[in-house]
Amino acid sequence: MNQPRSAKLTWLLIAIVGALTVCPVVMLALGSFSEGLTAFGVFTVDKYVGAYTDPAFRDVMLNTVVFVVCSSVLSTVLATFLAYLNTRTDIPFKFLFGILSIIPMMIPHLLFSVSWALLLNPSNGLLNLGLKEAFGLEEAPLNIYSMWGMILVEGLLDLPIAYLIIAPAMASFDVALEESSRVSGASAWKTLFRITLPVLRPAILAAFILGVVRSLASFAVPSVIGMPGRVPVLATHLYEMIATGFATDYGKAAAVGMSVLAASVTLIVVYRALTAESERFVTIAGRGFKSTVIELGAARMPLFAIVGVLSFVLIVLPVAVLLYTSFVPYSMVPSARAFSMMTLKHWRDVLGDPISILALKNSLFLALVGATLGVVLSVFVAYVIVKVKTRAAGILDSLSYLSFSFPGIVIGVGFMWFFVQTPLYSTIWALLLGYIATYLPYGIRPMSSAFIQIHSHLEESSLVCGASPFVTLKRVIVPLLIPGIVSGWILLASMFVRELTLSVVLSRPGTEVLAVQILRFSEDGLWGKLSALGIVMIAITTALVVLASWVGGRFKTAWGR
Amino acid sequence: MKRLVVATLALFAALNAPAQDKALLDKAKAEGKASFYANITAVEPIMKAFTADTGVTGEYTRISTSKFVATAITEFEAGKFMADVVQGPVPVLEILKEKGVLASYRSPAAKGYPDWATKDEQITLFGIEYVALVYNKERVKPADVPTRYEDLALPKWKDKIVMANPANHPTTIAWLIGLKENVFKSEADWRKFLDGLAANKPMFVASFGPTPAPIESGEKLIGISMPKYIVTKAPAPLDWARISPMMGTPRAIGISAKAPHPNAARAFVDYWLSAKSMGILAKDVGEYVLAPGVFPPIAGIDKAKVIPIRELSDDETQKWGAEFKKIFDIRK
Repeated sequence: MNQPRSAKLTWLLIAIVGALTVCPVVMLALGSFSEGLTAFGVFTVDKYVGAYTDPAFRDVMLNTVVFVVCSSVLSTVLATFLAYLNTRTDIPFKFLFGILSIIPMMIPHLLFSVSWALLLNPSNGLLNLGLKEAFGLEEAPLNIYSMWGMILVEGLLDLPIAYLIIAPAMASFDVALEESSRVSGASAWKTLFRITLPVLRPAILAAFILGVVRSLASFAVPSVIGMPGRVPVLATHLYEMIATGFATDYGKAAAVGMSVLAASVTLIVVYRALTAESERFVTIAGRGFKSTVIELGAARMPLFAIVGVLSFVLIVLPVAVLLYTSFVPYSMVPSARAFSMMTLKHWRDVLGDPISILALKNSLFLALVGATLGVVLSVFVAYVIVKVKTRAAGILDSLSYLSFSFPGIVIGVGFMWFFVQTPLYSTIWALLLGYIATYLPYGIRPMSSAFIQIHSHLEESSLVCGASPFVTLKRVIVPLLIPGIVSGWILLASMFVRELTLSVVLSRPGTEVLAVQILRFSEDGLWGKLSALGIVMIAITTALVVLASWVGGRFKTAWGR
Repeated sequence: MKRLVVATLALFAALNAPAQDKALLDKAKAEGKASFYANITAVEPIMKAFTADTGVTGEYTRISTSKFVATAITEFEAGKFMADVVQGPVPVLEILKEKGVLASYRSPAAKGYPDWATKDEQITLFGIEYVALVYNKERVKPADVPTRYEDLALPKWKDKIVMANPANHPTTIAWLIGLKENVFKSEADWRKFLDGLAANKPMFVASFGPTPAPIESGEKLIGISMPKYIVTKAPAPLDWARISPMMGTPRAIGISAKAPHPNAARAFVDYWLSAKSMGILAKDVGEYVLAPGVFPPIAGIDKAKVIPIRELSDDETQKWGAEFKKIFDIRK
């Protein structure tokens, strides 16, 4: 694309993305400097002084750093391992592992955390009971209510995001680079660490950074696992700030949120610096490109066993717990009696509840329409971020993260303060715009990872041959971007199906959504109904993932012709 | 002559009361709907009954307590407050009253409620969010069931208690203060109880909602929770320790000063406070209500002494939350 046209596109996108993401953050910034409980009041810095001089703040930040860094490392390492095996090797049952690695994203985080508490609580956690029985132990060997428990569960929850960013980049990797390394005498391990992983650095870093930002904003794990374990992190600190009393001061919580925002923006700047020479990471250029499968040989079955066990313990078991909980009349440890008491009552209640059905329809609408609009916007934004290397592109990159970086517990109120000034307040369109604004990085990241690996020579060759920019985009760029587009759509759609933080503030009668219904059940302690609706949610998301993969496959075949 | 005047007045009142109701209902019907902002479990049956009985559509918006004031005031100041009627803990309604969000209305349906239920012109109390020691009746022997609150501090309950976090859960904070003011003879006794309870290392959860699950499953044996779960979580093996008095924060209702449907709002409040609605609330949700003679279907509740806890200001709640944080050593 020529320079003036690129500049126009960049500024147009800055205007669109800015309008979507800046407004709620500005409202929160105003609220953090205003007396009173809303965005507009007499100027004051008291909220900042109060928030940052809290003696507990230092310990909270220390715990937070350990929690977010370790959980992000865990999710990134696991995702890289799974993506490599899945996209590059001949490991059996690939498709299954692909689905399994994104299942945690489909489960409401609250439910996933509760499942792990049922498995690993020190009193009667199922795995602990099994281990005590097997090894004749007096006490439970594992306690999920701890920092390591939080890291494990958050790491697993963030695994799909990391996987969906790394897998497309891994899939577009030109194996010729590895072959050259091997021909030059390097071992498989040396090739992995000297060629494969460095070339994938942008995707791996993007996954890590997204993990950091998500775990900073996460509330389910700190609340369900950290609170009983008495491990306070930023999210529970913010919760304490807004929950102690009735005249909730979101401005003070926003004052703390500003430092999270600053940290996130800094991370993005660091990321851009580390991947600035993006030409170094290009693997698909004008020459022949192939992505061949590496034969694992003797390691095939052992690796399959490792991934199988990992998938079973980390993913299948918690989902099985959910299914079980949806059938027992109340929370029970599995036993002959529990199985004899199984009932469909929770399912009947949920499927016969008109509000739950309306919520299901609304969530499906928001997922389908929202994810599609989000992906369209993300393609253009990712293009500008990766291919147009101007300062304005950097601004666009940071803008896309603004709402996303803010702790979830607060950002919803920012949107409420903003939308209440517009006619969109209390409509489904407010939810749609809020969702896209907040989760835009889920669409952008997989696509930028894919864009980074496509050399501009391809685009230039097409233009030189007389193709218009649109035809170039359609015939050259988009087919190569399909894995990224599918990943982005899946991430956005499944996020929208279970979105809670904005919905809990913006949803009104007629615009109920699934996650808010689930929250209601959770507030009332109705775990059976909650699990039943959670499984409905997983089923819907699975259907969307399969649909997206199928459509992606069809498009790739059709557009590549 | 005196008897005749009284009889005439009574006849006039009897004839006029339904006429007033009918006039109000006609206006309410013309307005079409009543929008109700609250955070209360499973009130859909009441909304349905209201719609069926009055012809006015009842529309329920559930807003979490922590977001209630922020939402109401934001909408109110922006001129978009859509609620006709609001319901919540008394301190929430007090804040809304101070901000001018509530209108005056004394419902005739509150007749027969305790005197203290009519707090003032704007706020009417209709129930108490009652708290008790709820235990697993399959795992706790009858002889071990606490008979005094102090029993919860006995070492036998170590690692067997679940409760909402006393550092930040307002109702739990108010309940612990209620013990000091209504149960323990001296502050020293109360402090001793708190130290014993803290030494038993209760498991903390975010609110009352997650308290019954660990008791049902046997992960914990007893909790500071709400007896209403005996109804909503039946057939879970839950029961409550008969300790007097039982305490809780009062629930209240009021009408919006800028109600889009002011007559429907009044009709809704009248309906809400009626024995029929309160009966649904008690029967389906296990709520403790102030309508005379209406009790939840929980054994022994009709004999229990249930008292409202003094309302704590936000400053007081935060002060005591910080104090409990130290006592319960929550950061370690």
